[in-house]
Amino acid sequence: MNLTFFNQFTSPQIMGVPLIMLALLAPSAMFQTQNNRWLTNRLSLLQLWMINLFTKQLMSPISKTGYQWSIILTSLMIMLLMINLLGLLPYTFTPTTQLSMNMGLAIPMWLATVLTGLRNQPTASLGHLLPEGTPNLLTPILIIIETISLFIRPLALGVRLTANLTAGHLLIQLTSTATFTLLPTMPTLSMLTMVVLLLLSILELAVAMIQAYVFVLLLSLYLQENT
Amino acid sequence: MPQLNPDPWFLILSLAWLTYILVLQPKILSNKSMNHPTNKNNEIIKTNPWTWPWP
Repeated sequence: MNLTFFNQFTSPQIMGVPLIMLALLAPSAMFQTQNNRWLTNRLSLLQLWMINLFTKQLMSPISKTGYQWSIILTSLMIMLLMINLLGLLPYTFTPTTQLSMNMGLAIPMWLATVLTGLRNQPTASLGHLLPEGTPNLLTPILIIIETISLFIRPLALGVRLTANLTAGHLLIQLTSTATFTLLPTMPTLSMLTMVVLLLLSILELAVAMIQAYVFVLLLSLYLQENT
Repeated sequence: MPQLNPDPWFLILSLAWLTYILVLQPKILSNKSMNHPTNKNNEIIKTNPWTWPWP
């Protein structure tokens, strides 16, 4: 069978046995469970500090009723971060390139924020559909536009993560193929492409972390509007 | 594009949620901090540094 550049994104299988479970469990192994000791070690402390710092940063603009979401958002961030970072290693599979996983995370989370808002403060949540200070003539059109933008949010959330990671992995594969193919015939050009590849890898490292953060940040933003 | 193949969609979705709920959240919950979250106080507390036990 002919392999295309997209074949790196097929869900991995060995003889019919799906390996996606391994790809999803490995990132959890990167983050250790703390034991119950009062005095732990340096790494555990760093982990605890990172989690506390991140949670504090994320939850500070949200009201007190929204603090129940802190475990949801923090663990989501850790999961996406670890999955994205591990996917940058060669020959690993990144589950966040799968549209199914990202949409499956984005749609329920977004829906939960919207339903929380509609349940606890329906007037205020519906009031978000009309920005303050709009001229009276524009009201109906603006409500329609805001409703459409509300419904596009989960799609954008899921597809943003998928597309960023897919594009990054694809670019890495393309430039590395180019480097390899050019090596026998034009070695100088091959070295230049290798430099591009190195820069791209650094970019992908940043993108991996940033995209995880953006996902969670936007969710917290939607939460902020609705609590 | 293999991401659009709907065959493993449910498997990936359900396994992702299950890992998230059953594995990751308990891990993050086990990071108990020692103090309650308080507002910042202006005084600087002097503590003596102690030697960390190596893991």
